Amino acid sequence: MLPTATHCPYCALQCAMSLTAPDAAAEQVGAPVTVSGRDFPTSRGGLCQKGWTSAQVLRAPDRLTTPLLRGADGELHAATWDDALDLVAARLIALREAHGPGAVAVFGGGGLTNEKAYALGKFARVVLRTPYIDYNGRFCMASAAAGANRAFGIDRGLPFPLADLGGAQAVLLLGSNLAETMPPSSVHLAGARAAGGLVVVDPRHSATAALADGGAGVHLQPVPGTDLVVLLALLHVLWAEALVDESYLAARARGVDEVRRSVTSWWPERAEQVTGVPADALRRTARLLAAASPTHGGTGAYVLTGRGVEQSTQGTATVTAAINLALALGLPGRRGSGYGAVTGQGNGQGGREHGQKSDQLPGYRRIDDPAARAHVARVWGVDPDALPGPGVPAVELLRRCGTPDGPRALLVHGSNLVVSAPSSDHVRARLAALDLLVVCDIVPSETALLADVVLPVTQWAEEDGTTTSLEGRVLRRRRALDPPDGVRSDLEVLNALAARLGVTRGFPTDPAEVFDELARASAGGVADYGGLSHARLDADVDGLFWPCPATGAGEPPHPGTPHLFLDRFPTPDGRARMIAVDHHGPADDLRADAPVYLVTGRVLQHYQSGAQTRRVPALAAAQPEPFVEIHPLLADRIDVEDGALVEVTSARGTAVVVAHVTPRTRPDVVFMPFHWSGQGSANRLTTDATDPISGMPEFKVCAVDVRAAAPPVPPVPPVPTGQVVR
Amino acid sequence: MRVVVVGHGMVGSRFVDELVSRREDVVVTVLGAEHHEPYNRVLLSELVAGRVGVASLTLPAPPHGRVTVHRGVACVAVDRRARTVTASDGRVLPYDVLVLATGARARIPELPGLAPLPAGAHALRTVDDAQAIVDDVRTSSRAVVLGAGVLGLEVACGLAGRGVAVTLVHGGPHLMDRQLDADAAQAVEHGLRRLGVAVRVGRRPREVVVAAGRVDGVRLPDGELLAADLLVLSAGTLPATDLAARAGLAVDRGIVVGPDGATSDPAVFAIGDCAQPPEGGTGLIAQGWDQARRLAAMLADPVDRPVVASHPVGTDVVRLKAHGLEVVTMGVGGSAGAPGAARRAVRLSDPATGRHVEVVVAGGVVVGATCVGAGAVAADLTAAYTRRTPVPSDPAQLLLRPVRGAGAEVEPSVTLMPDRATICRCNGVTKGEIAAGWAHGARTVEDVALATRATTGCGGCTDAVCGLLEWLERSTDPDADPDIDPDAEAREPAPRSTGTPARPDQAASRLPMRTLQTSGPSSR
Repeated sequence: MLPTATHCPYCALQCAMSLTAPDAAAEQVGAPVTVSGRDFPTSRGGLCQKGWTSAQVLRAPDRLTTPLLRGADGELHAATWDDALDLVAARLIALREAHGPGAVAVFGGGGLTNEKAYALGKFARVVLRTPYIDYNGRFCMASAAAGANRAFGIDRGLPFPLADLGGAQAVLLLGSNLAETMPPSSVHLAGARAAGGLVVVDPRHSATAALADGGAGVHLQPVPGTDLVVLLALLHVLWAEALVDESYLAARARGVDEVRRSVTSWWPERAEQVTGVPADALRRTARLLAAASPTHGGTGAYVLTGRGVEQSTQGTATVTAAINLALALGLPGRRGSGYGAVTGQGNGQGGREHGQKSDQLPGYRRIDDPAARAHVARVWGVDPDALPGPGVPAVELLRRCGTPDGPRALLVHGSNLVVSAPSSDHVRARLAALDLLVVCDIVPSETALLADVVLPVTQWAEEDGTTTSLEGRVLRRRRALDPPDGVRSDLEVLNALAARLGVTRGFPTDPAEVFDELARASAGGVADYGGLSHARLDADVDGLFWPCPATGAGEPPHPGTPHLFLDRFPTPDGRARMIAVDHHGPADDLRADAPVYLVTGRVLQHYQSGAQTRRVPALAAAQPEPFVEIHPLLADRIDVEDGALVEVTSARGTAVVVAHVTPRTRPDVVFMPFHWSGQGSANRLTTDATDPISGMPEFKVCAVDVRAAAPPVPPVPPVPTGQVVR
Repeated sequence: MRVVVVGHGMVGSRFVDELVSRREDVVVTVLGAEHHEPYNRVLLSELVAGRVGVASLTLPAPPHGRVTVHRGVACVAVDRRARTVTASDGRVLPYDVLVLATGARARIPELPGLAPLPAGAHALRTVDDAQAIVDDVRTSSRAVVLGAGVLGLEVACGLAGRGVAVTLVHGGPHLMDRQLDADAAQAVEHGLRRLGVAVRVGRRPREVVVAAGRVDGVRLPDGELLAADLLVLSAGTLPATDLAARAGLAVDRGIVVGPDGATSDPAVFAIGDCAQPPEGGTGLIAQGWDQARRLAAMLADPVDRPVVASHPVGTDVVRLKAHGLEVVTMGVGGSAGAPGAARRAVRLSDPATGRHVEVVVAGGVVVGATCVGAGAVAADLTAAYTRRTPVPSDPAQLLLRPVRGAGAEVEPSVTLMPDRATICRCNGVTKGEIAAGWAHGARTVEDVALATRATTGCGGCTDAVCGLLEWLERSTDPDADPDIDPDAEAREPAPRSTGTPARPDQAASRLPMRTLQTSGPSSR
């Protein structure tokens, strides 16, 4: 078979790859689908271990190939598609008639293609007519989105091509461990490292922080939950030492004076007391960034945020402070400099643009904007007044599930939320209280196993579609092989359900057709895909950056927009908004019975809830089990050896995991990756406190106690032969 | 509710901000004696040192519909029976709640020559004081700083940094005697000498010598004359209690208040440096801001709020702001009481290099610390103290931060690196796997990439792989290395193998370490 040019199924870097499916004869004898790297501006032909082994998920031994229904015996049993869809439709109709459209909720995912995300949002609004739709992107990008939207009037993770980082003299990474989470991207840090200008802010000496070692830059290691103060102190130093780009601010920003005054209270010595970062290091870092900025003759600087600072009850404030810092240095909208958020999930960017968010319509339109409603309703052929209003963010949606006034049915697409949502024991209880849980999945994920109805769907290389990468570059994912028998695409599922619920038009199953409608629905919006189509993206091998509006007949097509903000910001007056913010600290702070901070995150070998990567033998072998990283001083104090089992307890629950004793973390911080379910699941411990603006949960900091696990119960002695046991 | 706030400094302005954001029905009038907008007094020594501009001192004072600020207007009287205050411009303001945030004023030592204050002599309490010192610095070459508390040290270092010859004179037994013991002060003195600051301790000046109305020098009790054209008085502060005393409120050193900030009149509160709370005033801004926040919370919601100091520890961290001199103290000092079973004090004293670190531990947490010239250790101890995080079994571990690369994580060389050491992070490829590939004919980076996928992620390990291949090439030359057998590694795949024997030729085979990570123990 010929290789198919596509992109990796995992993170937002969307590394380019070629997939070669075996021909029919070879497939008979179990020949694998082969993966090779493909040259591309972001990944440069590179793939990490996840990407190289990604094709193995296509052959997962427990791949779902038939719908499952929970029987009277409480077990899941195979069923036909018609029986499963009929049952779902009948239950949804009954619930809606009894309790109104708000009785049904939809939970989407940042891994869904643009086409699926769009169709899901439309299905919720047009077919179910429910306001209750949100998605797991709320767990990853909501704070960055809220911060960027209010400062710049637009939220495109990187408003510039990733490769631009290569020319910068300094790159400030706040809470991003990209060397672990999207490894091939770190090639773009080489320039900053050579200039000694890589600044990594992370409570751990992560793989990314290690890139700053040996003179390549600076690692600031703040106490968890205090990154905002690091930023406020850097701003303080810039103003105190007259390093701010005043002429840029005068021309391009608003709100400068309020921010300048607000950081007066955060002199470095005070910030040191809160953050644990030495005042001197804060001053040197501010000067390093200033020296790299254009106004001081530097070759450019970037400020980038990741989940480490965003998954916080002050995540939006922290993103705002990072943007303020970038503006004070005169970076956004200048070539070779800027602010960006490093998007996490595979389609984390596109997934937040086309209507999966509770307050949003396609094209990054607001659902409470009458003009937006009118435009989208026209494309959808419905009455604008029939569209529901804004719903609630993911954590709140899950909290309401199964409550007397909340949703009684939940449809889940592309999300393993009982592993990835905070305070997961509570989430399980909410799902158990539902009348109907329907999960579309590729494998029996932990969430699918709780469902009343499981619908087996196609994955990544078995379907066509598009994703939008962390740069806002729209990419084609292509079908490289046929799906297994018995499996349907999400688009087919939505089409069939819509028909059973009385909507027989408007839910095409061809992704190219869905994309064309998405393009029309997004036209004129912030994220304008109007000039894009599958055909055009097939012709342009490097993809195209939105906004890419349609052009008139006879005019050349719009070339896309790699660089935003060069002339103005898309705010009413064209200026960026600086907004003063202050530090309040974590919702669940240390106390006598929980004297250690827990930080959660990822490892290179696993993606999200691990539903895919835990099924790849090489990845499972490299990272086989959940663990907690403990500093040697803490390990010594609680008398725990490397490899021993420990109990980590928060106000929500207890996890039992293997201790990895390492000086990479602070003595007052333990770290757990969140890719596993069961007794070692990190999200049993995390708090579901959320950011007041973005609704994003505070995954990155909570208070825990850590102690040696009680010794395991000794195994029952073997029963002597000849004795009968009843 | 009508609230009148007297004083628009750091604590008064913060209180107003906190109050109006918490309570809708409150109308606030502020009287601020200074003409300036509220500013950050803590940074005045930085202004003197020339490290910040005056503009960067201004604090937030967003215009607010329910707040009226009268700048340059003092409060001259309080009529508690009528619940009114009289302002210096004659206006009379009624109040339901009166908050005194009058701060403190500089203490002027009673020395011959200082009454009246001669030209060239300045306290440092206001931005006007700081500007006056900065103006005088332009024409001064020799300065005396009188009083070696925190402010005195900061000013002495700041002036020295501006090229002024500075002598720091202190009547107390040693430098910073409110916070430090003699040993720690010794280390500080070393640090000061290195910055070019001369020190005279234990000698209270006999007089300030004045010539033609200007400071000319300071004479010490032993007759030594320190010539000076600039004299900065940093002899402490006195709570500004005059107004409260005239109003008949209970006044001791400061205005006496309870844990809720209330004075002897329940409608009148005092916060910040003018107040004397049960735990004592520290003169530190953290305490004043904490009082402001708590009082605002209580006034906004008087029923539900338990009135307790929310941070009984942690607001007494003293951190010197001086270029080239690091002093941080917090909590109790080791010599404050006899250490016993309940309290352990460990110290590292290295006065010759200006370093002195002491940690006091009780009940498994840090209850005090003194850090002089301790670098990042001070930041770590502050975090441990303010958050009460568990201390190591051996508190001596707190005295030093291990140099990265010391101890177990020594920089590995190709030869010493165990087989399970990861060379290519992106693809989890170990040294052993690359050696195995080599044994099967992978001789170039491209070969290795095909065989193991090393270098095919971010490419950052390419140099490391080259170095490894070079070493493998040399090590299989029988003359060079009789005891290496890469085939042995090939037969025993890498991740669980036990490692390569140590080799002597490290220098040639040392890899660029930035790209290398040693993977953890075998459980990973």
